[in-house]
Amino acid sequence: MDLDYKFLVQTFYLVLGAIPTTLKLTFVSLLAATPFAFAIAMVRRQSGRRILSQIVKAYVTFMRGTPIVLQILMIYSVLPSVLNAVALAWNLPINVFDWDPVLYAYIVFTLNTIALLSEVFRSALGSVVQGQMEAALCAGLTRVQAYIHIILPQALVSAMPNLCNLTINLLKGTSLAFLMTVKDMTAVAKVAASYGYNYIEAYMDVLVGYVIVCSIVQVLFHFAERHVGRYRLVRQK
Amino acid sequence: MLKIRNVHKRYHENEILKGVDVTVDKGDVVTILGPSGSGKTTLLRCMNFLERADEGSMDFDEYHVKLHDASSHDVGKIRKKTAFVFQNYNLFQNKTALENVMVGLVIGRGMDKSKAQEIGMKALDKVGLADRYRYYPAQLSGGQQQRVGIARAIAVEPDVILFDEPTSALDPELVGEVLNVIKQLAKEGKTMVIVTHEMKFAADVATHVIFMADGKIVEEGDPKTIFLCPKEERTKTFLRRILPGVEYNI
Repeated sequence: MDLDYKFLVQTFYLVLGAIPTTLKLTFVSLLAATPFAFAIAMVRRQSGRRILSQIVKAYVTFMRGTPIVLQILMIYSVLPSVLNAVALAWNLPINVFDWDPVLYAYIVFTLNTIALLSEVFRSALGSVVQGQMEAALCAGLTRVQAYIHIILPQALVSAMPNLCNLTINLLKGTSLAFLMTVKDMTAVAKVAASYGYNYIEAYMDVLVGYVIVCSIVQVLFHFAERHVGRYRLVRQK
Repeated sequence: MLKIRNVHKRYHENEILKGVDVTVDKGDVVTILGPSGSGKTTLLRCMNFLERADEGSMDFDEYHVKLHDASSHDVGKIRKKTAFVFQNYNLFQNKTALENVMVGLVIGRGMDKSKAQEIGMKALDKVGLADRYRYYPAQLSGGQQQRVGIARAIAVEPDVILFDEPTSALDPELVGEVLNVIKQLAKEGKTMVIVTHEMKFAADVATHVIFMADGKIVEEGDPKTIFLCPKEERTKTFLRRILPGVEYNI
């Protein structure tokens, strides 16, 4: 097998240059999804709101039950037309077809992450011993204060491993953004390869790029988990 | 000081409390005894609204509320006049012993941090944990955890402390250290309501004993009367089963 080493190195730099795009896709979606995911988790934990609970449950089931590729294709082909129709109907002076496709990437990944993240939050909230909420109320805290100071800090700790998984899966999943012509790590390498059919080199570069980024994310999560969970790690006397 | 009247509580078809009255005056130590499922714990939890009673009223100093529709504002105020010690301690796992005691002062009552720290240390000293300020609950034994729970309760200087079977989850050899702390509080004249299965302790510490069965108060009175010459047959059987070998004046 003959590899074009010059191309290999050049493309590797290209791939490295696209890392910010991949990271932005990942973390903007993650941040945007967080409040919604938390709200869904809270709704599903309360016994009272049965109808709302069923609706969000259906949403979660739907998003988890469809391939993200399909979600991307659907949203990328349907949403612009819908928005355009709305804009025309209301005489809004915008042209949705001028919008940067990255916008749709954010929308898809956020919608998808909301569903997955809500499950992470739900199980994490369930892992905090319920009696602590009662103890907090008895200590004179309001429910909100109890969540902020007692429940959430502990839920965060037990959410960490799943959160790390989700982040890494999302990060790798953003490679599908090339379907929406977003120039992430995968897309730039594919484009570069297409000129001279150097696909093998390009894929190797992307592979290494993802390994590096994902490893860094994992290491960061490891330290974050140690930090937020330090009360669990103290040595028994 | 604290009076609850005609407390009813049901879960689905199951009536747990069938009209219970309790009066607690300042300085009283009321112990509530009775077999499992008699509604003792539910009664205690209704007293600070951890459970919502279905019926009944409460007079607590200047507060006069219906148990089933007290506003959350009143509930918050009444809770701040009380403190609760749980069977399973329910310490905040992410906080040190000292922070556990301070939470109610700093976050619940907006007290200055350094002042709260001073009070918190004093409370922990009192329960014999002066050397455990910076320990997390996971590093403490059950008895130590429960003593932190008691320190957390006394730190907020409540009008009444409610104890829900404070020693039931403890190893037998750790029970003593917790009971001694509670006895000390009784000596200082703290007002307390204690649900317990420790009969000897109940007899020692109580100023008033309530015996419950099947969601009702069967008999109540001063400890001597209840333990040594109970009138009701139900009380006698219970005591006979729990305290074999004790001579009763029956």
